[in-house]
Amino acid sequence: MTTNTRTATGLTLRKDGPSTVILEMCSVRVGQTLFGIPITHILEIVGGTIPQAVPLAPDFVGGLVHYRGDVLTTVSLRQLLGLPVIGGKYDILVLESASGSFGLLVDSVGEVLTVSASDHEPNPSILDERRRTLFAGAYKLKQGLLVMLDPERLDPVRLGAAAA
Amino acid sequence: MDELTREFLIESQEGLDRMERCLTDLEERPHDTELLGEIFRSVHTIKGTTGFLGFKRLERLAHAGENLLGLLRDGKLSANQVIITGLLHLMDALRGILKTIEADSNEGEGEDAELIGRLHDLQHPEAAVASLNAKAAVGNSAQAKAAPPAPPMVHQTRPSLPAIPDAETAPAPKAPANRPAQIEAKGPAIESKPLADAPADPGKPKVMTTAASDSTLRVDVMLLNRMMNLVGELVLTRNQILQATSLDPNLTLLSRRLDMVTADLRESVMKARMQPVSNVFSKFPRIIRDLSQALNRKVRLVMEGQETELDKSLLEAIKDPLTHAVRNSLDHGIEPPDVRIAAGKDPEGTLKLRAYQESSHVIIEVSDDGAGIRVERVRAKAIERGLIAAERAAQMAERELLQLIFLPGFSTAEAVTNVSGRGVGMDVVRTNVEKIGGKVEIDSRPGKGTTLRLRIPLTLAIIPALIVRSLNQSFALPQGALSELVHIPPERVSTAIEYMEGTPLYRLRGQLLPLIFLDRLLSPGSASTSLTSEARAERDNFIAVLDADGRRFGLVVDGLADPEEIVVKPLSGVLKSIGLYSGATVLGSGDLALILDPGSIASRAGVAMRAQEEEQAGIVQEEAETDVMASRYLLVEALERRAAVPLGDVLRIERIPLSRIEYIGYRPVLNFEGQLLPVEDSGGVLAAAGGNPEAQLTVVVCREGNRHVGIAVSHVLDVAAGSELFEAGSQHHASGVTLLKDHVTGIVDLAAVPPLPFGSHGEASQLNEWTTETVA
Repeated sequence: MTTNTRTATGLTLRKDGPSTVILEMCSVRVGQTLFGIPITHILEIVGGTIPQAVPLAPDFVGGLVHYRGDVLTTVSLRQLLGLPVIGGKYDILVLESASGSFGLLVDSVGEVLTVSASDHEPNPSILDERRRTLFAGAYKLKQGLLVMLDPERLDPVRLGAAAA
Repeated sequence: MDELTREFLIESQEGLDRMERCLTDLEERPHDTELLGEIFRSVHTIKGTTGFLGFKRLERLAHAGENLLGLLRDGKLSANQVIITGLLHLMDALRGILKTIEADSNEGEGEDAELIGRLHDLQHPEAAVASLNAKAAVGNSAQAKAAPPAPPMVHQTRPSLPAIPDAETAPAPKAPANRPAQIEAKGPAIESKPLADAPADPGKPKVMTTAASDSTLRVDVMLLNRMMNLVGELVLTRNQILQATSLDPNLTLLSRRLDMVTADLRESVMKARMQPVSNVFSKFPRIIRDLSQALNRKVRLVMEGQETELDKSLLEAIKDPLTHAVRNSLDHGIEPPDVRIAAGKDPEGTLKLRAYQESSHVIIEVSDDGAGIRVERVRAKAIERGLIAAERAAQMAERELLQLIFLPGFSTAEAVTNVSGRGVGMDVVRTNVEKIGGKVEIDSRPGKGTTLRLRIPLTLAIIPALIVRSLNQSFALPQGALSELVHIPPERVSTAIEYMEGTPLYRLRGQLLPLIFLDRLLSPGSASTSLTSEARAERDNFIAVLDADGRRFGLVVDGLADPEEIVVKPLSGVLKSIGLYSGATVLGSGDLALILDPGSIASRAGVAMRAQEEEQAGIVQEEAETDVMASRYLLVEALERRAAVPLGDVLRIERIPLSRIEYIGYRPVLNFEGQLLPVEDSGGVLAAAGGNPEAQLTVVVCREGNRHVGIAVSHVLDVAAGSELFEAGSQHHASGVTLLKDHVTGIVDLAAVPPLPFGSHGEASQLNEWTTETVA
């Protein structure tokens, strides 16, 4: 008999056979890479928005978007990864962090993938310094790698402090 | 801290605030039983509630005060200076303990025996009667204490004190003496409650003193902020719906309705955040009482417009500046009684606090009838403190000199007292008021008094702003800082904007205005986005002349959009730290716009404080100074004769047909939007028109003292700087004339325009009498 227990952290424990932890990740695409973010951290996904640029803001700031009566600061993943910044519309993940919510600009949002914790690998040692601070390892999927992003490390306040 | 204690703190604070107001009133009307009753209730509520919260120190103090107040209220003792001082001390002590409770959740250590003893002694001046009643009072309270959590049982008894059926009903704190029915109704309900529930009671239904407060409710400010936010969101959605449905006739009606409801809702929510200024004013009677005693002044406080409302957060923000201003008025303004008598004034000075609304601003005036500010002393002090160079100071006009008191480090007090004179004060007042988008103005007449005017925006959450374009995006510029707009058409760009070694400047009515190009400021080093001077020359340029923190500069933008009422949204820390933006907003079009902070822009671009800047200029080009110094005039022409009107007094210029001019007796007047304006025709323009109703004339509307007057002229020629003229030989200042465009020009004496016949009486009947006999 299979019982699914949903814990507060959104983990699904399947109690059949060896204890495999199943996680749900929202997949997003930026450039060629497929990234994953735990769905538990995502407040909302806003599609097709053009962020308003903020002159003199740090490079990683992708601009401002209007979100539910508030003005949300966004972080440009392209900019963080050193990819060419394309103008036009972005999909925005509204994430929650310790210092409040912020938006993450991605090229497109894909489906929610279920991954098994046993497929996780930490960041490889040859990864460059910058990426190592942003990524939280990767999941080996059949169709390729799902690179994990850590929302806490994408927090603009933290990025701002690191840049300073 | 638990909910009950918090409720208790809030309520006690309110009670003490009321008590403070009443105590100062009590000095004037020592036998007002209503006042005494109110004070008694405040203290009594505290005592009653502390009983079951277990704040022993607070209870003992309140108890001592209650005994004394009981005697006062029953007329067994009459209030005098000493007793009131004692009660004020009691209030301070209670406040102090409440503060400690708020901070540490306990009353803290402290010795109150001395104060209690003093309060006790105060009960005895009229020994026999007083002591007898004191005993009775102690008896009462002892009884009340015997059953602290369920005191209501006491209230139906005690027929010996019929006037105060509520005296012992602790859980009905604000129960008024004149509403026994309600208390009766309430009594059984409380009694029937289990003991454990009783403590929760005082926080809940409150029996207020007035009918109006029966229908009020306490709401968390956070909730109001959230509502404000949601309303902002609704406004935006409405705007988008209005745009989307404008083509569909069926929806137009519905969307109109939505539009109206949204506007009403916004207004209501904004109103919910408003509080009367009396919340701040109410603490001044006490401050003035204490200060006037400490400084040996006699001061009468007059407060007007206490019901004027202001956003809660703004009210908080003006508390300190206002206190500073009042202290200053008492310390530097109003003279000691003997000095006043010597000057032929009433020994009692008057300090007036006045609040009123003027369109989207609330004006708060602090005026005194004291010594006024002697500009000579300001000059001397400013030089002494090294705030300004002597040569520069010698050249400054009175108005400019007055502004010096807002510089940091300025104080004219001969001695540093503990009240003021430490050189902090007026600059703090200005900084704090400007921080919330307000302005400070000062007016002073030596020997007559000083008026300080704080101009505060109605609300912080929604501000009027001008939307400007630069870098192909919109920015919002708060209207508060905007003084004027200058349009430079493409063909004039190359000549109008001058460069001093790369620094752009603009001649604004003869004065050099430092310019800041918004696009260059916001995209330093990237030539691609900011326009080169050649490209700039091919398009319109707009200069927004801004005044911020005493600095004046022009911000050059590419375009202007309509002014809008914008809802200010806070920015995240990362963007706030850029320092140029004070927030962001969503425009009617749905676009986002950053709100520019004029003060930060000035500092970023290195625009110096105005006084300092002028000082620097003074050192470099002393010859040019007479020019900078000159006052500005509106040059007018009336039948080929020229005259000058001081520009500072000009309110507006109206072009009207002669038919609009009517007469009261022989006096020409203009009915302007329901207001009667005397029209001065010393230039003979009206007579020359010869009664042709089609003839056009120009009326310059000016401010003169506290009235407005109109000057009839043929044309307005120009605005020009006039220089002062001195009588040959004597070097006496020639008044009434000025050197304008190299011609000696007479200045129109506005004060000489006689007041309208009814001006001094202001009686409507007389007005009618006059108007009926008119029609020339």
